[in-house]
Amino acid sequence: MSTATETAEREKEAFARVELARHPNRPRALQVIAGGFDGWVELRGDRLFGDDHAVVGGPAWLDERPVMVIGQEKGTDPMTRALHNFGMPHPEGYRKAIRLMRQAERFGMPVICLVDTPAAHAGVGAEERGQAWAIADSLLCMLGLRVPTVSVILSEGGSGGALALALADRVLALENAVYTVAPPETCAAILYRDAGQRARAAAALRPGVDTAHDVGLVDELVPEPEPGAHAHPDVVVAMLRGAIVRHLDALRDVPIDDLLQARAARYRAAGG
Amino acid sequence: MDVVTAVTARRQAPERRITAPGPDMRPVAPAGTVACPSCGRRSVADRFRAELNVCSQCGHHARVPAVERIAQLADPRSAQLLDGGIGDRDPLEFDDGTPYPAAVARARERAGVDEVFSVARAEVGGVPAVLASMDFAFLGGSLGSVAGEMFTRGCELAVAEQRALVAVCTSGGARMQEGIASLAQMARCSVGVAAVAGAKLPYLAVLGDPCFGGVSASFAAQADIILAEPGARIGFAGGRVIEQAAHEYLPDGFQTAEFLLAHGMVDMVVARQRLRPTISSLLKLYMA
Repeated sequence: MSTATETAEREKEAFARVELARHPNRPRALQVIAGGFDGWVELRGDRLFGDDHAVVGGPAWLDERPVMVIGQEKGTDPMTRALHNFGMPHPEGYRKAIRLMRQAERFGMPVICLVDTPAAHAGVGAEERGQAWAIADSLLCMLGLRVPTVSVILSEGGSGGALALALADRVLALENAVYTVAPPETCAAILYRDAGQRARAAAALRPGVDTAHDVGLVDELVPEPEPGAHAHPDVVVAMLRGAIVRHLDALRDVPIDDLLQARAARYRAAGG
Repeated sequence: MDVVTAVTARRQAPERRITAPGPDMRPVAPAGTVACPSCGRRSVADRFRAELNVCSQCGHHARVPAVERIAQLADPRSAQLLDGGIGDRDPLEFDDGTPYPAAVARARERAGVDEVFSVARAEVGGVPAVLASMDFAFLGGSLGSVAGEMFTRGCELAVAEQRALVAVCTSGGARMQEGIASLAQMARCSVGVAAVAGAKLPYLAVLGDPCFGGVSASFAAQADIILAEPGARIGFAGGRVIEQAAHEYLPDGFQTAEFLLAHGMVDMVVARQRLRPTISSLLKLYMA
């Protein structure tokens, strides 16, 4: 096989991975919340500007324990996808998440973040209201939160928009999810000045969560039944719930100051 | 390396005679002169440098190399550059025609610095500080693992020696060639900022042109006090991306320092000539 064919094959394969992660039937944050937690109550608004539907959050029960669940929601059909802005949060989404995390801290609730976004929203309003500032604040908030935290990369973890909710004590990822510095389209636009070369960018970026695991941003890959989470969303939700409970149980016994120290040490070393 | 020596070394490097003082200055004849990238006015290179790369005709703030920035801000002879000594990383073995290590080597040659961040121990107005300065000429000031490590070491030095932290941020954002490892730098740098905050030391950021993406969405926006240079373009996503992705009309002056001031995102817009005195009086207040 010629090198050109090999390269084309490799690019096709890499982008197929991205497309699998974007499969419309993969479990979304609201499905995980409905199937994995009991009595979730949605709380809304950032108390500053508005309510961003790309981020949903509120307290719920997980095995008799109150926890704060925050998720990036992409929507499941054209109408809900538009409502949730395809999972691309505005600054008020991150500020709502920060508000809920602080609240969880006050009431001693562990925080669970379900990450699923191509990227933070790029738009005039988002810039006017400080998208960069909101994400930067969320990073600091998660690093200092005095309760155990678990994040799950459900399908797509794109850019700082995903990282903002993923600086947890434990980060899990579904095995077919992708976690990238930016969506392949944006990477291609930056590297090759052509968003159309997204497959080439995908191949170069190694978008799979295994790469994120290698650099220390992800701790555990949660296996998906064949051919992937989109075919068995309920099974996957149950498996995720089990993994979250297992990690929370382990984290519960760690004194909070030790936990914070370990969290800082871990992200100090992340990325090599 | 002593900063004065470093700056002199840059100045004497023959290939820098033409393009000096900034990488965005178009090479023009005759040698030893530069043209303002905004209005095109020609100045003698040394004079332009003495005027801090600010055009005397239109006031345009041209880019400043990282080490020269440290020399501009530090008290005379107070700055000591930290030795980086951090080995290069290539986590993805990235190769898009140019292997990443080759791109780094070329950037090194062109920009005349080892990496994006130059970090120095210095005094500003007599106040002990750590100056961390980014060089846009080095791969667009992008945040890779070496840059992230340098910044974080700067933070740790500030904590260890009870110094204020001053960061000059100018960057296109994450370094795509390092992929997810580049994203991780946002986390790493945030750990550094949190340590400085925890030690109750002031952190002041100066945002130059441009400042975007993973840099603005982490340590640039996490400072206690944020100064921006006039006309600097600052934001999360670039204007071109927004126009293409959201098909939105961009308002006049969108994402300029002045725009961000009006929207409450920065504390002040400070002309480069006023940066040093402004930083110095602020640090005195916060380190009293």
